[in-house]
Amino acid sequence: MTDLFANLWLGFSVAAHPYNIGFCLLGALVGTLVGVLPGIGTVATVAMLLPITFGLPPVGALIMLAGIYYGAQYGGSTTSVLVNIPGEATSVVTCLDGHQMARKGRAGAALSIAAIGSFLAGCVATVLVAALGVPLTSIALLFGPAEYFSLMVLGLIFAVVLAKGSVPKAIAMILLGLLLSMIGSDLETGAGRMTFDIPELSDGIGFANVAMGVFGFAEIIRNLEMSQESRDIVQSKITGLMPTRQDLIDSAGPIARGTILGSLLGILPGGGAVVASFAAYTFEKRISKHPELFGTGVIEGVAAPESANNAAAQTSFIPLLTLGIPPNAVMALMVGAMTIHGIVPGPQVMTKQPELFWGMIASMWLGNLMLVIINLPLVGLWVTLLRVPYRLLFPSIIVFCCIGIYSINNSPTDVIIAATFGLVGYWLAKHDFEPAPLVLAFVLGPLMEENLRRAMLIARGDATVFVTRPISAGLMLISLTLLVIAMLPMIRKRRDEVFVE
Amino acid sequence: MAEGNKAARDGGGLRFKVRGPRDFYGGLALIAVGIIAIWATGDLGGSRGFAFGPGTAPRMFAILLAFMGALIAIGGLLADGPPIEKFAIKGPAYVVAAILLFACLIRGVSLEYIGVPVNIPGFGLVVSTFVAFMVSIMGSSEMRWTESLLAGIGMTVFCVLLFVYLLALPFQLWPSFL
Amino acid sequence: MIKNLVGALLSAALVVVTAGAAQAQSDYPKRNIVMIVPFAAGGPTDVVARIVSEHMSRTLGQTVLIENVAGAGGTTGATRAMRAANDGYTVIMGHMGTHAAAVALYPNLAYKPDVDFEPVGMAAGTPILILAKKDLPAKDLKEFVAYVKANNEKLNMAHAGVGSVSHTTCLLLSSILQVKPIAVPFQGTGPAMNALVGGQVDYMCDQIVNAVPQIQGGTIKAYAIGTPERSPVLPDVPTTTEAGLPQYQASAWNAVFAPKGTPKEIVQKLADALDKALDDPAVRKRLLDLGSDIPGKDRRGPQALGTLVKNEIAKWTPIIKANM
Repeated sequence: MTDLFANLWLGFSVAAHPYNIGFCLLGALVGTLVGVLPGIGTVATVAMLLPITFGLPPVGALIMLAGIYYGAQYGGSTTSVLVNIPGEATSVVTCLDGHQMARKGRAGAALSIAAIGSFLAGCVATVLVAALGVPLTSIALLFGPAEYFSLMVLGLIFAVVLAKGSVPKAIAMILLGLLLSMIGSDLETGAGRMTFDIPELSDGIGFANVAMGVFGFAEIIRNLEMSQESRDIVQSKITGLMPTRQDLIDSAGPIARGTILGSLLGILPGGGAVVASFAAYTFEKRISKHPELFGTGVIEGVAAPESANNAAAQTSFIPLLTLGIPPNAVMALMVGAMTIHGIVPGPQVMTKQPELFWGMIASMWLGNLMLVIINLPLVGLWVTLLRVPYRLLFPSIIVFCCIGIYSINNSPTDVIIAATFGLVGYWLAKHDFEPAPLVLAFVLGPLMEENLRRAMLIARGDATVFVTRPISAGLMLISLTLLVIAMLPMIRKRRDEVFVE
Repeated sequence: MAEGNKAARDGGGLRFKVRGPRDFYGGLALIAVGIIAIWATGDLGGSRGFAFGPGTAPRMFAILLAFMGALIAIGGLLADGPPIEKFAIKGPAYVVAAILLFACLIRGVSLEYIGVPVNIPGFGLVVSTFVAFMVSIMGSSEMRWTESLLAGIGMTVFCVLLFVYLLALPFQLWPSFL
Repeated sequence: MIKNLVGALLSAALVVVTAGAAQAQSDYPKRNIVMIVPFAAGGPTDVVARIVSEHMSRTLGQTVLIENVAGAGGTTGATRAMRAANDGYTVIMGHMGTHAAAVALYPNLAYKPDVDFEPVGMAAGTPILILAKKDLPAKDLKEFVAYVKANNEKLNMAHAGVGSVSHTTCLLLSSILQVKPIAVPFQGTGPAMNALVGGQVDYMCDQIVNAVPQIQGGTIKAYAIGTPERSPVLPDVPTTTEAGLPQYQASAWNAVFAPKGTPKEIVQKLADALDKALDDPAVRKRLLDLGSDIPGKDRRGPQALGTLVKNEIAKWTPIIKANM
């Protein structure tokens, strides 16, 4: 314990160096700014800004990159709430209730609770990283392909449960998302799948293109149908910027539970952080006294996933810091940044460069504090943006989205794909299909298929591995239970209908 | 969309009535997507021993999708549901046109390598941003020319300052042929 | 009026045809150069590309931007580079996989590495290590060879995706040992290394950059390095020759290519900038810290690279064809 304090002291003395505070602030600011622009997600932001850090001292560079990383996450949630465009897979669920709150004039409360929840979650998760980072690493290593497959199955079940409408339709959307995610080159053989010999499709379709299309563009097209009056009512009745007392009481539980779920899932390098936010949402919906209100703008539906994704963002540093193995694309960029600065990330960083290791951990906490300080006052500004007449707001969103999507890969094709998904999303909305399960399945699909295939290869085709390995079996059991619970009301309803007839 | 007409025809001409058209036609479309996917994955290898092969998972999901589509369509036949809302043409058309114009203008399009002699030069960020803004704003029924023009210019300047100067993204600003 | 303006712009778009590469080359480069890295950011090729491109930017007076285009063992990025305008503003940090092994791996490969590209120069080589999970019973390479031959049916070999260096170099190992292990593909070296550390898979071949921290940290074992000499970064790891498997020689080289038809002077300008970068002490130190092998003067430049590509295609094609 004394070691921990000594280490943290060392960390804070590094992180609190005026230069490093400056880098942290700069990173958080830039991250927020870019994250807020619809269309540019975290990976793109960090990739874009990576070269800026090359000239900095290594500790400063990493602190700044980490700042950009969670700054962009914060910013990405802001677009989810304001304009229904998720910047990241982790903020897809934030759209569900966050944007509905904004439509009810409660964007301020949604954004504030997101910032507060994220901060609290970030604090807890940072302590967790500092105190238990090394032992927790072993959890990450317990997860082999079979476990990841089961986790992804569980993730897809979450996607069914969080849907508002009919279960068969949610399942259909999941299947469609899975199918879309398989477009591109096959991992095992390199064969092009459903690419129709279009070279641009051999890369597969990017998450941003799909999310921007079915959420952002489709939303705009639908709004254009609405009469001016019905939209302006939405805009005029903006109420208080800060959450009410009741909001805070309602959010306390979700924030705590979201933090725990997010911290645990974030440790898993193969997509755990993605599952975290909607695991938290689903959990809240399950235990809520009014599950039917989820999706219509309840504050729990914002507090839980936002806390979870920020906690996961912090704990996802664990595999990187303790093993040197990047768990996701952003971390891979950070490894690149480290190696460029001559730091070889790995188990030795902690002992060989304690000032870097602990400095980064301390900077996580400082970064979260700064984000709250930056973001709470900005809530007012963002909400004011909603007062801009929609006829001027929507072309701006379109332009930002276009530039954002284009800048990810410098690919015009990506922009065209997003436009296509805009029309798809419009059609889906007309037929009461929800886009959230589709997008989530799209993200989880490759992880699920690849891990399934790996698990089967390693087990030599023995499908029982999924139930004989204890962690996998546990996850499968949870999935099954959730699925049964989700199906029950439907089965009951069907039966009632049959009896009526 | 032709679905409205089809719904009317089916409702009149055939004995049964589509009670939930949203589900019915939605389900049919999913069946179609499933069938297209099955066709598109036909050339991919399936399972060999315990190796899955590239085609297994997509085919499985495509079949399941078609199956779920059928289930939803049948549900739409049996249970009452709201009618399909009218599809707007103007809004989507302008929005999509704006996005496509942006995509074509930003870096230029060349289809020469697939044998089509189309070669649009890159017009750069300034032109493509402005064009995308102006075309999309025409999709709104509340468009006012002066205001839009000013907003379009303002937005273009803002984007250039933000992306090119502040974030130092490697955008081409002006048309490449100037 | 706006309608007219928009109309005019549109018609201009359809009429004007770019002058393309025909513009004067003497003032090259007048804008940023894009260097395609056909793998994900943060990987070994990406790091090499970023280190040399940073120095090349200074020599050329224009920023060399890294564009990561991952997929299909790097061939997606290479295909994009092949189709890019041959004006010197798009180059690729190619690699043993994309510009040699791919020929045998992908029957429908859209490009011919030795025909469709102008070689610019070799950047750095990365030695390959034979690695295993830490509780594999074999103590040294001889025992490992015996173990793999005896337990071939039970073992899982990890690799970072079809056509990746870890895949092809393991095929080389398999062909030398006459074994056919189960190959478990991962999406990149990070996840593969994670599985090796976690003991989910038994062994793999990988580039030294990824493995050094894990070997030093004792989370995995290294049996041998596939180069003629030991690496200064891992002085305790014997060479394959010392350990009794001299046939296993493998190094993943990274080299810069330009699309076919890029003017000679531009290629030379790029080659000179690369040459200068590889002579810079700071660049050398960074590359050596990663365990890279920096080519000597005789292995640099367009001609040497052209020869290397031809030799490597000839080396890998039979090995891969026999094992796929």
